[in-house]
Amino acid sequence: MSTVQSQSPYHFLIRRVHSLLGLLPIGVFLTFHLLLNLTARSGPAAYDRVIETMRHFPGIIIVELVVIFIPITLHAVYGAWVVYTGQSNVLRYGYARNWFYILQRISGIYTVIFILVHVSALRFGEANFASLQHFVANPWGLAFYALGIVLAVFHFMNGLWAFAITWGLTIGPRSQKIWAYVCGVLFVVMSVVGLADLSAFLR
Amino acid sequence: MAENKEIRLKIRRQDGPDKPSRWEEFTIEYHPKMNVISCLMEIQKNPVTADGKKTTAVVWECNCLEEVCGACSMNINGQARQACSALIDQLEQPIVLAPLTKFPLIRDLMVDRQIMFDNLKKVHAWIPIDGTYSLGPGPRMAEVKRQWAYELSKCMTCGCCMEACPQVNSRSKFIGPAAISQVRLFNAHPTGEMNKHERLAALLDDGGITDCGNAQNCVRACPKNIPLTTSIADLNRETNKFALNRWLRK
Repeated sequence: MSTVQSQSPYHFLIRRVHSLLGLLPIGVFLTFHLLLNLTARSGPAAYDRVIETMRHFPGIIIVELVVIFIPITLHAVYGAWVVYTGQSNVLRYGYARNWFYILQRISGIYTVIFILVHVSALRFGEANFASLQHFVANPWGLAFYALGIVLAVFHFMNGLWAFAITWGLTIGPRSQKIWAYVCGVLFVVMSVVGLADLSAFLR
Repeated sequence: MAENKEIRLKIRRQDGPDKPSRWEEFTIEYHPKMNVISCLMEIQKNPVTADGKKTTAVVWECNCLEEVCGACSMNINGQARQACSALIDQLEQPIVLAPLTKFPLIRDLMVDRQIMFDNLKKVHAWIPIDGTYSLGPGPRMAEVKRQWAYELSKCMTCGCCMEACPQVNSRSKFIGPAAISQVRLFNAHPTGEMNKHERLAALLDDGGITDCGNAQNCVRACPKNIPLTTSIADLNRETNKFALNRWLRK
C-alpha cells in the first residue's frame, strides 16, 4: 500500500528558512536598529557622527548585504507568496488569533512598502538628521513613519509568537498563551523605543 | 406552551456544481426539540418556500444523527458545524444554512469531502499490519498516552477545521489540521510508530505542515474539541527533528 510520493524536497526547507530569517538576522537587526537610533535623542551632531562612523566601517556594504538586504528581500518575496495563498475569514471567525493572522499579513505588506521608501530616502538618498527631520515635518510623513515602526515591531513580535510554534517550542495552549503575553510586552517596549527614536526628529 | 410558533430558515440553493446559486426562505411549524435535520425533513415533505412558491426539496447529507460521522457538516448561521447537533432552540432565527465553501459542491447543502480522505491517504493515516504470516501481538500502549491519543481518535473528518482555516482555499495546497492531527495519533500508537517516518515525510511536502498560518480557528471550530493546534505544534517539533536528522545522515 505504501507508495513513494513525489516530493518537492525544498518546500519544508524554504518555509523554515523563511521563519528563521524573520528572527535571525532581521528581528535582531531591527532591535539593534531601534536601540542605536536612540542616539538621535542626543541631537543632530551626535546622530550624524554615528552615521558617518558606520558608513566608513570597513566592509559595511558586505554586512548590509548579508545581514540586512538579502534576508529581508528573501523574507519579503516569499512572504508575498504566503499572503497570496491565504484567504482571511475574520468576518465569520472573529477570534483574536484570526485577527492576528490577518494583521500579520497586513503589517508585513506595509513594512515592505515602508522599508522601500525608508531605504531609498535614507540609505541611497541623503542620510543625515536633517533629511529625516524634513520628512517627518510633514504630518503625513510622520504618520507614515510612526505606523511603519509600530507595524514592523508588531510583525516581528507576532512573528516571534508564531516562531515558537513553528520550531516546536511552545506546544500546548498554555505555553502559547504565556508566550503571547511576553511578546505583547516586548511589542510595547520596542514600539516605545521606536517612537522615542522618531520623536527626536520632531524639532 | 409554544404552539403556533414558527421556525424561519434561509437556505442557499444550487441545483448543481455549475448552476447559479440562490437563496430561498422557508417557514415551518415549530415542534419542541427540533434540530436542523428535522427542519430539512419538514421541508422535504412539503417543499414550498415562505412566499408560497413550489420548489424542489433541499438536498443535504446525513447519516449517524449523533455527531460522530461528520456527514451533515454545513454552515449554520455562518459557522461550520453538524446539522444534527444544531438544536433549533439554541439558534438565532432566521437560521441561515449554506454549504461548506472549501469543498466542491454537489447540490444545495451537499458537498464532496473527498479531498480530506485523499489527504489521510497522503499522510498514511493507518497502521500497516497486513502480512503473509502472523506478526504476533504489538507492543503495549501506556495508559496515560492512550488517554490523550483517544481524544485525537474522535476526528470524524467532518471538515469544520478545513472550513474555518484561512490557509485552506483554492490557491493553497494545505492538507489542513485534521490530517496533521491524525499523523500525531498514528505516530503515538506503539505499532504505528514503526512507520512514523513515512507520515512525517509526507508532512514535509508542499501543502504540508509548514503551510499552517497559526490562525488557530481550527481548534475552535472542531466539534469534538480535538486539540488540533497542539497536534500541529507537536508535529512542528517532530518534523523539524526528522528533517534535520534525515538531512544530516544523507
